[in-house]
Amino acid sequence: MHVHELNPKKTMVTMIIFVIVIIIGLVTLSKPRLNYAITPEETVMLAGSEEGFFYPYELEDILNKTIDTIVLVDIRNTFQFGRGHIPGAENISAVELISKENIKRLEALKDAGQVVLIYGNNLVEANGPYMLLRQIGFDNVKVLMGGYSYYNVWKDKLGDSYSDDSYFIGNAQYDYAEVAKGSSVSNNDNDTPEPKANVAVERKKKNKAVEGGC
Amino acid sequence: MNKNYIILMGILILLAAGLLVLPLKNNSKQLDPEVLMWDIVQPTRYVSTDEVAKMIIEHDPLLMMVDVRSAEDFQLFSLTNAINFPLDSLALDDARSALTFNKRNLVFYSNDDLKSDQAWVIAKRLGLKNIYVLKGGLNRWIQTIIQPEAPAETASEAEFNLYAFRQGASQYFTGGSISIDKSPQAEVVVSRKKKAKAAEGGC
Repeated sequence: MHVHELNPKKTMVTMIIFVIVIIIGLVTLSKPRLNYAITPEETVMLAGSEEGFFYPYELEDILNKTIDTIVLVDIRNTFQFGRGHIPGAENISAVELISKENIKRLEALKDAGQVVLIYGNNLVEANGPYMLLRQIGFDNVKVLMGGYSYYNVWKDKLGDSYSDDSYFIGNAQYDYAEVAKGSSVSNNDNDTPEPKANVAVERKKKNKAVEGGC
Repeated sequence: MNKNYIILMGILILLAAGLLVLPLKNNSKQLDPEVLMWDIVQPTRYVSTDEVAKMIIEHDPLLMMVDVRSAEDFQLFSLTNAINFPLDSLALDDARSALTFNKRNLVFYSNDDLKSDQAWVIAKRLGLKNIYVLKGGLNRWIQTIIQPEAPAETASEAEFNLYAFRQGASQYFTGGSISIDKSPQAEVVVSRKKKAKAAEGGC
């Protein structure tokens, strides 16, 4: 047996260090500030639904102030925001949206029954932040289809955009199998129009602003 | 035996017992939402169609194309050596772990980059590493690789080089046949509800 094993002082010191390390470990146990409110499975369902998608023509109601339950948030950078934005929108970048103060604010808006409509330059740009906010429990968050770039083109005739389909993304623009067979490798640089595949677009019903009632 | 050893042992056993009551949730390797948001706003996950074409042609051993479209779409057309992994299957544990243990660079693609981006967000949350998104998806793949457009005569040399590469890639992926056959323009079917008036009904 070694001498130090019988040295009570050394054992004591070791023990104290041991306990301190464990206490420090428990105290500093990392606890994420934000937690997921829905499971990955539910997130997959969310990705498959268009429930959180906001149609550009619906913006008319916000701009006309017919609806006052929607808060517009521009998640692009300050420079882009400064160059142009949807009237009434405030500029909060995606990362800033989950800062302590803004989480508090989002919670307050959620409790007040307000919808938070976020937009980027296009749908894909805002889709990630939208999915994240949904995943941490903000089911009052929606995302603008087409984003700012679409709005900018249609801003004077938003109502007409109802009959436009270009903001629908996710569809095949070609019959891939047909095109990839090698039918269209042109060597003489002719400008043939790109063939379009069948695109079936289904759109959710537009909510009526005011309905019935006496 | 020294008394101190007994106390020490007692603490260790107590801590070990504590492990039993720890909630199972703590063991999941899900990414912290805050970190996920940081990753989401980085554009580094996107790879261009040109980069992917080059990697496929060079038989990059680390490249794994992941088609997140439906099985039917995958049957009709897919990129070289792609595997089919419909977005829905990310909800299945078995399918998920198949991807988790993959050490290659996974490049998600769909028709454009909406579905693949959604798949990326979910996969990232689940802790998958080395995952990317094909920018523009298959639509851009056709536009740039299969049917490349010639640059203007005033374009820079780099653009002409890119065009030359794309033409070569096009022949590679289409089996080398060169014809100017056009696919017919297909019709676009849109089902839509009539627009409602702002105010309806009432007395």
